Amino acid sequence: MKHLRRTLLITALLGTCSAALAAPGGLPNAAHGDSSPEWERLRAKLFPGRSIETTPGRLQVQMVAPLRAAYGASVPIKVVSKLPQRPELFVQRVYLFVDKNPSPVAAVIELTPAIGQADFETRLRVDEYSHVRVVSELSNGELHMDSRYLKTSGGCSAPPNRESPELIGKTVLQLPEGLKPNAVTAAQVTVLHPNDTGFELNNQTVMFIPPYFVRSLKLSYNGQPLLSAELDFSVSENPMLRFNFVPRAGGELRADVEDTKDRQYVGRLAVGIE
Amino acid sequence: MKLGASAVMAPLAVLIAALAWGSAQAALPAAYAAMVVEPAGGSDRAEFDLDAALLRARNENKSLYVYLGARDCPFCRRYEAFLAKNAVALVPHFQARYLVVDLRSALLLQAPKLFFRVGGRSLNYSDWMREMGDERVRQLVYPSVWLLDGQARPLMQMPAGTGTFETVEEQLEILRLVQ
Repeated sequence: MKHLRRTLLITALLGTCSAALAAPGGLPNAAHGDSSPEWERLRAKLFPGRSIETTPGRLQVQMVAPLRAAYGASVPIKVVSKLPQRPELFVQRVYLFVDKNPSPVAAVIELTPAIGQADFETRLRVDEYSHVRVVSELSNGELHMDSRYLKTSGGCSAPPNRESPELIGKTVLQLPEGLKPNAVTAAQVTVLHPNDTGFELNNQTVMFIPPYFVRSLKLSYNGQPLLSAELDFSVSENPMLRFNFVPRAGGELRADVEDTKDRQYVGRLAVGIE
Repeated sequence: MKLGASAVMAPLAVLIAALAWGSAQAALPAAYAAMVVEPAGGSDRAEFDLDAALLRARNENKSLYVYLGARDCPFCRRYEAFLAKNAVALVPHFQARYLVVDLRSALLLQAPKLFFRVGGRSLNYSDWMREMGDERVRQLVYPSVWLLDGQARPLMQMPAGTGTFETVEEQLEILRLVQ
C-alpha cells in the first residue's frame, strides 16, 4: 500500500504539472472513448507494458456518467461490472481517474469476492472538461477500461459546506430494508468531511485552504474484509461510496476511515436479516 | 509566471464589454422571441408565474426553454451575447421545438426569496427543484436554464450555469437533449 500511495503521489504531481501547462479557455470536445495526453502519462506510470481491453463487446466494466452534471464539484458516476465476484475470477482492483484534474487518480479500490458484485457509485470532482475513466483489474491480471467524456468545470475550487465542523469524520452506513440472506445487497457509506482540495481560496485571508481529505476507507462485514479504498480529493466532499456485499446471518458492517491529518473514524451498522 | 499587459487586459475588456452590453440589454435577444415574465412581489419574495407559458407551450405543442437571468449578472450578459452573436445559427433550432421563456430576476433574489407559480401552486426555488428531482437544489446559480415539457416536467438534468453550452455545437446538444 505504501508503494501504491507513493505512485499515486507521483501521478498526482504529474497531473498538477499538466494542469498548469494546459491552455486556458477554449471548450474542447472529445469522444467518450478517446485517449488524452494525461491518460497516456498515467497509463505509462501505472500499467507499463500492459494491454488494456477497451473493445465494447469484450469489456467487463462500464462507466456511467452524465455528459453534463449539475455541479462540477459533485458529479455522480457509476461503475458497473459485468463479471460476478467469484473466487475463481473476480475484479481485484478498480481505479477511478479524472484525466484533467490536478490530481487525476481519484480512487484505487482493492476488492474481495465477498462483495458479490463489483458495482460502485460515488461522486467525483471534475475541474474541467475531461474524461473520467474506470480501469478494472481482474484476478487473472486482465485490465479492462471504460471512459466517459464530461463537460463541467470548477469542481476543485468549489467551496464545500463548512457549517458543522464538529461532524467531520462522522461515518454513516446505510442498508435497504428487508435484507435477504445470501443475496447481493447494495449498501452505502458516507463520511462527513470537507475533502478540501487545496484549490479553494479563502475570501478573508486570500490564502488557499490547505488540502484535507479522506485518504483511506476500509469496509468489512463480520471482520471479513470487503474492500479497501485509497482515495483522493477528486472524490467530492462528504465522500460517499455505494457498494455491494452478501449478508449471511446478521452481524455488523464496519467502516474504518483515515484522513490526511491521520485522524481515524469508525462507522458501524448492525445487519438485520429477515 | 509573468503575465503580459494584454493577457491581463483582455479578460477585463471582455467583462467590461459584457457589462456594458448588459446594462443596455439585460434580456434574451429579440430574435429568440422569448415570452418575458417579470416577477410579482418585491425584493423579499419574488414570484415568477410560469402557468401562462406552460399553457402556451401546450397549445403550440412545444417544450419550454426557461431562462432565469439577472439584470446585474455578468455571466448572464455573456450568455445573452453568445445567443445574440449566433442567432442565425441557433434561432431556427430554438423555434422548431421550444417556447423560450425569459425570467428577469436580480442577483439579490437568491433561493429563499425566489418562487415559481406552477400549476396554480407557488413553490420556493428549493422546493420546486426537490420536487422535480433537480440536483441544482443545492445552490441557485445565475443564469439557470430549465428544459420542461408542457406539464412542467424536466426533460433532462441541466448543469448549473450556462458555461458548458456557450458554443453553437454545445447549445445544439442541449436543444437536442444529448445527455
